Amino acid sequence: MEEKKVKLRIYGMTCDDCVRTISSSLKKQPGVLDVKISLQEGTGEVKIEPAGLSPEGILKNQVFSKGSHYKATLVE
Amino acid sequence: MSEEIKHFDLVILGHGAAAFSAGIKASELSSGEMSIAMIGTGPLGGTCVNVGCVPSKYLLEASHRVFRPKHPKMEGIYETNVVHDFSAVMKGLRSYVKQARESKYVDVMRSYENVALYEGLARFTDRKTVEISDPKGKKIGKVSGSNILIATGSRPSIPNIDGLNDAGFLTSDTIWGIDELPSSIAIVGGGAIGLEIGQALLHFGSSVTVIEALDSLLPQTEPEIGSAIRALLEKEGMKFYMKARVSSVHKSSKNKIVEVITHKGRERVEVDEILVATGRLPNTDTLNLDAAGIKTDPRGQVLTERSMKTTSPGIYAAGDCVSKRLFLETLAAREGVIAVSNMFGEDLRIDYDSSTWAVFTYPQIAGVGMTENEFSRKNGSCSCRTFPLSNLTKASIIGETEGLIKITVDPKDNRVVGMHIMAPNATDIITEGAYAVQNGYKINDIIATSHIFPSMSEGIKNAAQSFIRDLSMMSCCME
Repeated sequence: MEEKKVKLRIYGMTCDDCVRTISSSLKKQPGVLDVKISLQEGTGEVKIEPAGLSPEGILKNQVFSKGSHYKATLVE
Repeated sequence: MSEEIKHFDLVILGHGAAAFSAGIKASELSSGEMSIAMIGTGPLGGTCVNVGCVPSKYLLEASHRVFRPKHPKMEGIYETNVVHDFSAVMKGLRSYVKQARESKYVDVMRSYENVALYEGLARFTDRKTVEISDPKGKKIGKVSGSNILIATGSRPSIPNIDGLNDAGFLTSDTIWGIDELPSSIAIVGGGAIGLEIGQALLHFGSSVTVIEALDSLLPQTEPEIGSAIRALLEKEGMKFYMKARVSSVHKSSKNKIVEVITHKGRERVEVDEILVATGRLPNTDTLNLDAAGIKTDPRGQVLTERSMKTTSPGIYAAGDCVSKRLFLETLAAREGVIAVSNMFGEDLRIDYDSSTWAVFTYPQIAGVGMTENEFSRKNGSCSCRTFPLSNLTKASIIGETEGLIKITVDPKDNRVVGMHIMAPNATDIITEGAYAVQNGYKINDIIATSHIFPSMSEGIKNAAQSFIRDLSMMSCCME
């Protein structure tokens, strides 16, 4: 199975609870294989299965949607 | 120069309307966390506030206040000569521009600590990195961005006319520095910029000659409007050479001589000053776009999708440097917001079809959507009605009957697909057309909506009613 690492810049994280909320939501997204988030750097690394999820698709996760104070952009 | 590359979440090339709009939206979405570099030269705010909409509207408004009292249109109101000082008007204009720039751009920028301003020209070295040079070409730094927005705007295009540079000329960038009214001026180009500045100078007392390459004015609008505004401006004293071009320019002892080629042959126009208003060029030629894989159209305007994405991943474009048909500050700002929103994973698209545009002559001209010809060419047929302001009560009362409202609908369902207006306040009432086109309203929706009597906006309702009945058979305020 092909894998791809996508780096995110994540805005709005202030504590470990934020990290858990975002990680948990991303891990439930179809096509996501693994998630690592750095609160200190405000970044995330998401391992995806490109056949099932595009990098842009990660940004459409519920946790980054309108109304949420967490936002993200692609770094790579 | 330090070889260190400073990294930002977002690098914006340019610091005009599109750049500010994008920078502010990005700051809002990231709650001020997004690190942004904004790189540009010249005064903050770009074309619109410094050398575009703001000074031109100031000059036009001042000129109308001189001209209109001399030309009263109601019985019993007599000609009044307005005492004025052109030099003081221009001083007031420059002061207003400075104040608008300070309050709308310089002070606003101070509120965003996440934005770093770089004074210089940007040049791509690869898809993620740009090199910054000062105006003299000295390299002053390098920055990289996870996302990049190109919003470098445009500048006046100067045609290659023999002798023009030696004789000297003004453009829409430089005319705001004059203190003395030119006694006569030749305007090369009869587009929006040429007509607006031309009418302003005419109203102050200049003798104005417009030289236009096409055989009609303002081809983006309905031909009836192009003809009507030309007739009105000619009545006010503006001279036109249509389907004409300038072959050369030279200086005499006192004046500038413009050699014009028309279908009748060669003619000489002797003037005090020349204004070149032959369109604008995108500021993309020094960006080294190839290094980033960004494609442009033949004019050098950046190709984008409606999402404002360029041909290179992670790089967006907005504003006057983008390949499109309409070049407006409002559109630039919207494109900036769309570009940034899409960087955050949204799926927004720019809607050019319901974008309003305007020419601020008096009367004003404004439009939205397609003209009759555009819709017919695309769909084979259309349905349209033209309502002259001479039939509108408010226009008759104030004596401002030189104008019209034209609505084009899709004959399949009577959906409004275009509205074009020539009226004193066309720029205000065109918004009704924008609602209609954007939301797919039909003629009956406009008719069923309450309009004030007597008002200029009632003309839109009358134009809509002319699809269903003969207006000469209609009483006042008929529903």
